[in-house]
Amino acid sequence: MTPESNRRAIKLNVNDDALKETRVDGISAIFSSLKKMFAPVHILTENGKSKFGLILLLAMVAFAVVGIFYTPYAPNAYLFKKSMPPSYNHLLGTTGYGQDVFSQLLAGAAPTLMIGFSVGILGTLISVFVGVVSGFASKKVNEIINGIVNVFLVIPGVLLIMLFGAYFLGLKQNMGYLPTVIILISTGWAFGARTFRSVTLSVSKRDYILSSILIGERKLSIIFRQIIKSIMPVIVSNFFFTAMYGTMGLTFVEYLGVGNLQQVNWGTMLYWAINNEAYLVGEWWWILPPAILISVLMFAFILLNFGLDEIANPALKVFKKKKKVIERA
Amino acid sequence: MTALPIKYIIKRIVIFIAVFFGALTLNFMLPRLMPGNPAEIVYEDLLRDSGGDINISFLHQLEAEYGISNNKPIWIQFFSYLNDLFHGNLGISIAFFPVPVSTILYEALPWTLFLVISSITISFFIGNRLGRYAGLNRNHAGDLIIDLFSMFMAAFPAFVLAFLMLDIFSVYGKLFPVGGAFAVGVNMGLNVPFIVSTLYHAVLPVATITLTSLGGWVLGMRNNIIPNVNSDYIGFSQNLGLKDYQVKRIAYRNALLPNLTGFSMSIGLSVSGVIIEESIFSYPGVGMYMITAIDDLDYPLLQGIFLMVIIAVLVGNLIVDILLGILDPRIKQEGD
Repeated sequence: MTPESNRRAIKLNVNDDALKETRVDGISAIFSSLKKMFAPVHILTENGKSKFGLILLLAMVAFAVVGIFYTPYAPNAYLFKKSMPPSYNHLLGTTGYGQDVFSQLLAGAAPTLMIGFSVGILGTLISVFVGVVSGFASKKVNEIINGIVNVFLVIPGVLLIMLFGAYFLGLKQNMGYLPTVIILISTGWAFGARTFRSVTLSVSKRDYILSSILIGERKLSIIFRQIIKSIMPVIVSNFFFTAMYGTMGLTFVEYLGVGNLQQVNWGTMLYWAINNEAYLVGEWWWILPPAILISVLMFAFILLNFGLDEIANPALKVFKKKKKVIERA
Repeated sequence: MTALPIKYIIKRIVIFIAVFFGALTLNFMLPRLMPGNPAEIVYEDLLRDSGGDINISFLHQLEAEYGISNNKPIWIQFFSYLNDLFHGNLGISIAFFPVPVSTILYEALPWTLFLVISSITISFFIGNRLGRYAGLNRNHAGDLIIDLFSMFMAAFPAFVLAFLMLDIFSVYGKLFPVGGAFAVGVNMGLNVPFIVSTLYHAVLPVATITLTSLGGWVLGMRNNIIPNVNSDYIGFSQNLGLKDYQVKRIAYRNALLPNLTGFSMSIGLSVSGVIIEESIFSYPGVGMYMITAIDDLDYPLLQGIFLMVIIAVLVGNLIVDILLGILDPRIKQEGD
């Protein structure tokens, strides 16, 4: 085959592809745009671990959504005999106060998830902002930002929560959801900022960024159009990490009794169960369900975080390719 | 071993001092940022409890202890605060009135440090070994089991695990004591019964903290060792004819360095974890006092503990950073 005909064949192929593209009907157009919208979600299904984590998380979200609209009984009403073991009427028995445990679990899912997610989203936004800015800033600004990040890194968040919680108790108030979220965010962003700084530094040194600068693209546009896009897996992975921190923090706040104990969430459920020594009198149906659901939620976050790391970290990926090559050889 | 990286160490110490002052300032600002006057509430409580038997001057004393007397300019308050700190004066505890906060911390700190250091060391050692096994046997059943187990341990709420351990091993199993750091009637000091009793009482708390902090090391080590195993220098050493275990040891050592950085980051987290565990196992460390301080609104004690934990974390970080500088020549170059 001459080079001439070869080239023509390629051309024909390209034309074929183009034709196929133009023949897209309405439904698949919607599908492809949906696919684009959920591209970050699509990444998650590439890896077995993150796929499993995503399924667990979606199940949790579904559980929480059901809990918003429907619970078998009023979650906070003292309607029943105290400390009943699980039965057909009460799937997970009743608490030592005569509340239905399963209803509490359903109703408590949404606030628990919401706090985890809001800490994850807001904390990640702050750390992306700080990290990307310090990745682009001059050396002096960089050092100042680094210093601030270092201070926030060493502050033990749980202790700060205890301190603030004690102040709120002193004012005869309970720390509601808003102060809890604010403290968790302010102690949870620093770790991510450090990661994003180093990732931004390594990305911004690549040739295609340099050529964009040479073309005359504005810095903001480079940041949003190229850098944020290329570090997206790291951002999503950090989101799950921070969300995990938020959930863990919430359970600590509630366990210490410095939060608002009248609100129903998995943390307050644990607080009441532990303070009534459910673990001593053998009322496992009171303490284990919230503990297990919290750990399943955290497990989902860890799986997603870990799986995304495997996707984002090229070094972990190279292994597979190399292995394939070896097997083929 | 090469000479000490002096320049790098000096840089770390400068950063240490800067962050230390940042933390001091934060500790100073916190009570002054809070709205309202907790001193008045505590005073009213005490007044009610004692039936009006308390002088009004006690209120002013409380306000001074809480650091909310506003009659002096803020910078003078700051300097007197710093002055007090450098003389080891952290105020008087309210829950254990009239014991100074520094005395309480002095008594509680050794127990907390004992728990923190032993559990971090054990989980670092076991975790890295497990992670090494998982990383070297990637995509085998053992790897998957270790990964899932460590993820689930990291996900399980630490205090619930502590309660379950206490329930299973102490209350039902009667294998370990329910609380305390050593048996009643044993004299403190360097004698065999005391050491045995201390170790026996530490088993459950240390095991719990170790279990909950294991996951981070396992997963970190696993993800560090995989790229190392695939890098060119490993292929080179294999071609040189090194034995398999020697090659694995080289990869393991190189993968250990990033995990050491994680070690310094995790000190703060494990101190917080230890504080929770101590209150559950009634271990006479800082954590037990912390819970009492929250219940009794003992702000001087709370702030003393907060400051002390920050200092402990910072010192731990400094030590690990300097160690890293000695162990890793690349970091030494970066510092120069």
